[in-house]
Amino acid sequence: MAPPQLIADFMRLMLLLAPSAAVICLVLAGLSLRQGSVPDALVGGNFAKWMFWAIVFLTLPQLISWFPSFGVPASLPSGGIGTGWMANLQSDLANFVQNFVLARLATCFAAFFVLRAILDTVQGGHPLPSILGAMFLLAIQTTLNLINSYNSGTSYATADVLDSLWNYLAGTLCPIAAGLAVIGGIWNFVSRRPVLPMVGATLGLLTVSSIWKLITTMM
Amino acid sequence: MSFYNGILNLTNWAGNVIMPTIGALFIALAVVQFARGYHHLYSTWAYGGLMCLMVSGLLRMFEKFTGQLGWNNPDLYWNSLLNLVDWFANVILPVYAGMHVAVGALKFGGLFEQQVHHQFNHTRHFLGAILCLMVSGLLRLGEFFVTKGTAGVS
Repeated sequence: MAPPQLIADFMRLMLLLAPSAAVICLVLAGLSLRQGSVPDALVGGNFAKWMFWAIVFLTLPQLISWFPSFGVPASLPSGGIGTGWMANLQSDLANFVQNFVLARLATCFAAFFVLRAILDTVQGGHPLPSILGAMFLLAIQTTLNLINSYNSGTSYATADVLDSLWNYLAGTLCPIAAGLAVIGGIWNFVSRRPVLPMVGATLGLLTVSSIWKLITTMM
Repeated sequence: MSFYNGILNLTNWAGNVIMPTIGALFIALAVVQFARGYHHLYSTWAYGGLMCLMVSGLLRMFEKFTGQLGWNNPDLYWNSLLNLVDWFANVILPVYAGMHVAVGALKFGGLFEQQVHHQFNHTRHFLGAILCLMVSGLLRLGEFFVTKGTAGVS
């Protein structure tokens, strides 16, 4: 028996709002990047949690395709929303997220993070986490496009996106971070703080994939 | 705007614009520390200033250390550490040895040391004054060493 029109439209509404939910998750991820240290935020922290949920929202149809294998029939309704007010609600909410949250609010948060970077320095702290947070907030649309480009469209899409993001982090961003680690090492040398951790980190950032291979070989 | 462009430009800006400028400050501080007789401090500032001028070179050095084996070779991290140790022991230490031979030769004649050693009070002040007036020259000398150093020691 086909589901009632209202239920089918509600399902379509939820699915069409998933990308907007992903945008909100990415904004929250950017805000979380500044909480605590960068390593804590990146792996196992709030940043990782919100990034994971953003990926889940962007790969929701592919995740739901697992349900029939659990014995739960979950055929997704195709086409647009038939009920007028629901279609308007979806359109309004998507516009709100795109034009207000993403285009204006995230930019304002980024500007405040730049200010916070300066205040962190005044307090003797490190400006880098705030600057990285600001950059992430300014680049949400590009990050969204990047995640979408990694979506394989199969049932394994969520894991595929996570795999690809790990590759992007290890192969593209970490070698650049090694340059920052060299600068940090020089700064530590001049300010008479330990240099060897920075040397080890620089080598580690340039060999992330190899260390992963080393761990898998050990197993 | 992408995060990749942001972090790449941040690294380039910090490494190639800010650090060489800060390096000049470090060399100026080294001269001040020398003039004040803090001989255990000025070398740190001087080396720091020199390293600020070669951030890109240091990164290329680490890339060279980590690029000797394939990216998926499990021994790459060990090999990188090995290359680092090899470079330190066989390149830096011989240069350091040469420096100490020169210092030893200077100290060998005690009278000569009395006249030029920076701990000797009036000499230190005069030399400090000269260095204060030629900080820009010292920086240019550091830049010259860094530029010429790309060809390696021959």
